Amino acid sequence: MSHDSTLTGSEQNLTIFKGMIHSARLRRIGLALGASSAMFLSGCASNAPQDTWQPKGENAEKINTLQWMVFPLAGIVGVLVFSLIGYILWRFRDKGQAIPHQSHGNPTIEITLTIIPALILSVVGVFTFRGIFQLAQTNDTQMVINVTGQQWWWEYDYPAQVVNGVEIAQPIITSGQLVIPTGTKVLLRETSRDVIHSYWIPALNGKKDAVPGRINLLRIQANKPGIFAGQCSEFCGLSHANMRMEAVALSPEDFATWIANQQRNAESPAQATLADEGETVFLNQCIRCHQVNGLKKADGTAAIAAPDENVYAGAAPNLTHLMSRNTFAGAAFDLLTDGCRKNVWSAAPEEFGAVYLKGVIADCLNQTNIRRWLRNAPAMKPMYANPVKLEASDGKYRGMPNLGLSESDIDKLVAYLSTLK
Amino acid sequence: MFTTGSKYYFGVAGLGSLGAVLYMVLVNPCDVGVLALLGIAIAMSLVGGVAQFTDDFDADTVSEAVTASASAPAKSMWPLLLALGGVLLLVGMTAKPIIFILGIVVIFAAGVEWALQSWAERASTDSAFNRFVRERALSSLELPLLAGGIVATIAVAFSRIMLAVSPQSGAILFIMIATAVLVVGFLVALKTNLKKSTIAATCVLGAVVLLVSGGIAGFSGNREELVVAAAEDHYSHKECEAASSEHFDKNSNNAVSMKSGISATIRVKDGKLTAQLIGIDTPVQVVTLARSNLTTILFRNLDDAQYRLVANLGTQKVGDTGVEEEIVDCTQMTGKDQTQALILKISKPSASSGPYTLTVPGLEGQEIAVVVP
Repeated sequence: MSHDSTLTGSEQNLTIFKGMIHSARLRRIGLALGASSAMFLSGCASNAPQDTWQPKGENAEKINTLQWMVFPLAGIVGVLVFSLIGYILWRFRDKGQAIPHQSHGNPTIEITLTIIPALILSVVGVFTFRGIFQLAQTNDTQMVINVTGQQWWWEYDYPAQVVNGVEIAQPIITSGQLVIPTGTKVLLRETSRDVIHSYWIPALNGKKDAVPGRINLLRIQANKPGIFAGQCSEFCGLSHANMRMEAVALSPEDFATWIANQQRNAESPAQATLADEGETVFLNQCIRCHQVNGLKKADGTAAIAAPDENVYAGAAPNLTHLMSRNTFAGAAFDLLTDGCRKNVWSAAPEEFGAVYLKGVIADCLNQTNIRRWLRNAPAMKPMYANPVKLEASDGKYRGMPNLGLSESDIDKLVAYLSTLK
Repeated sequence: MFTTGSKYYFGVAGLGSLGAVLYMVLVNPCDVGVLALLGIAIAMSLVGGVAQFTDDFDADTVSEAVTASASAPAKSMWPLLLALGGVLLLVGMTAKPIIFILGIVVIFAAGVEWALQSWAERASTDSAFNRFVRERALSSLELPLLAGGIVATIAVAFSRIMLAVSPQSGAILFIMIATAVLVVGFLVALKTNLKKSTIAATCVLGAVVLLVSGGIAGFSGNREELVVAAAEDHYSHKECEAASSEHFDKNSNNAVSMKSGISATIRVKDGKLTAQLIGIDTPVQVVTLARSNLTTILFRNLDDAQYRLVANLGTQKVGDTGVEEEIVDCTQMTGKDQTQALILKISKPSASSGPYTLTVPGLEGQEIAVVVP
């Protein structure tokens, strides 16, 4: 920095100080521009499964059509308003001039500035209300699924019904991945067992709150086979960010295959195998909360889980067909290895059903994830699972506790869980 | 003799000592609460002594303030109340949380009042102006609280009266009071030359009548039918038979305002039992309910005869005994074109002790299956 020799010491200091302020301001402007550019460019991300601008179903397309109309309009208004504010700030900045004449009110400008926004909002309102009523339509529903949220996973139960000519004779219960047939108007009846959650799969529809004691309706429909990511969108406690979900759309034929498999009970593994020993560990530990349909105790009676006695929400995921889904722990972790997961997510629509219905085969099982989970679940996903800190939840867990399993028991359990196709 | 600040500290010390003595006599002379209260008393005495010795820690400021003020600070009850709040706080710590919370409220209120009063007394040399600034600062706090207190008192007094008199008398009383309020309000609005004292006397009279009536009603207790209902506890012993029950079906409502949050609507029409689910147009004979979740089912009777809906939810063990008892829940008797809600929470899957069913006594051979996955 050069110093002017004609200036006094204090004037030189003032010049240096002004220079520092100037460069600090430039740094701030640069930082702000950099941050906003990064945010702007993030919209170009190709791997964005929760992108609201890529609809994959009828309802999401309606929302997309609406936002394509509203956002540009709002953008134009925003640019105009901020440009005007910027111009006024610059044009009338303080240059030591006298304060101009102050006047109160100008009816012409006020009426104009009332009518123009009113007209814009009216146009937006007409299309918005039309969209809302269209999204609320349920009278042509072809399938119903009950969706129940709890900290921090979603349960899906499929009531007895006939879907596309396929009968669901016995209700199906699953979690993590919602499986639906393509081209079918599916009504989700949402509720919650503990706090308010919100179900949101951006590719298929908007958000809908799941409220304890109420049933809220959300209609979804997928055009083509594929898998679509979602996220609980109502803050629901410690692991809200880990309360994820995936919707899987299968062709009607593949969906019928999935239905047939889900209605089967689990079969016990062959005797004197590692999986057989794992079943014993399951009966000693996991059955306290997790149901496996068809599982029998040593005396031959049905093994019935009692999550109501151990878990605050009163429910834990049914594991009868764990390996038919690709994720676990509220869809927060993959049951598939990275390569196999990529195969599912990148499968072409016509091949998707076959790839998905293979489930988690031995070579694709993500041993690392499932072993870490069994070793110490709360270390992977924050949960209220400390046994000495459960006063607020009547001594019940919110989430899965650390069971203190030995490595040998973990080996056995993994072997058993792998049989739950 | 004593400076303003030291009075507060000595006041707390005195109350602390008093509290300690009462604690020793009434609770436990060897408890840690006594030590805590005595500790407070000793600490406050020490701080009070220092405050006295140093003219409230700032002799110059105090003397300047005294000089600037035309008159000495007005008498104030807030230091006493603040000290009382402190005692409540300490007693609440060892006794009941509600006393602790009350202590916080008293300390906060007295602290704010005292601080603003002290500030206002030094605002100027004009005591009238000082009163004005105090009122201006505190009215926004005092008036809403006062209004809230008055409304709460009226509500409590009025509710006691309405619970004591019969429903018919209550309706007449309500109309009379509403009419009286309307007439008085109308007169006040119309007669602009009405004396303020007359209006104030009318309001005070009304308040006294309300408070006295409320007090009498409160002491005399609820009307007989409420006392009987509480004693009989109608809802605790549901009787789910076909015949009408003496207690359970007494005063059945037969109408619900519920329009959402319903898992299924069960209907009786022309002697047939059907279920309707949201999203499925055709009637069904199987209802799926989520496990361990509150579920509301509506029962709608469209026939002439009275019916009730009964939920048969398997069996459960009685304590640690080997005895199994049936889990049954039901609505009250429901008349023609009437509706009742049945709220269930089923913790066990139907596979465990099922099948679960919904039946209507009197419609034999018909049932809706309930599946809890």
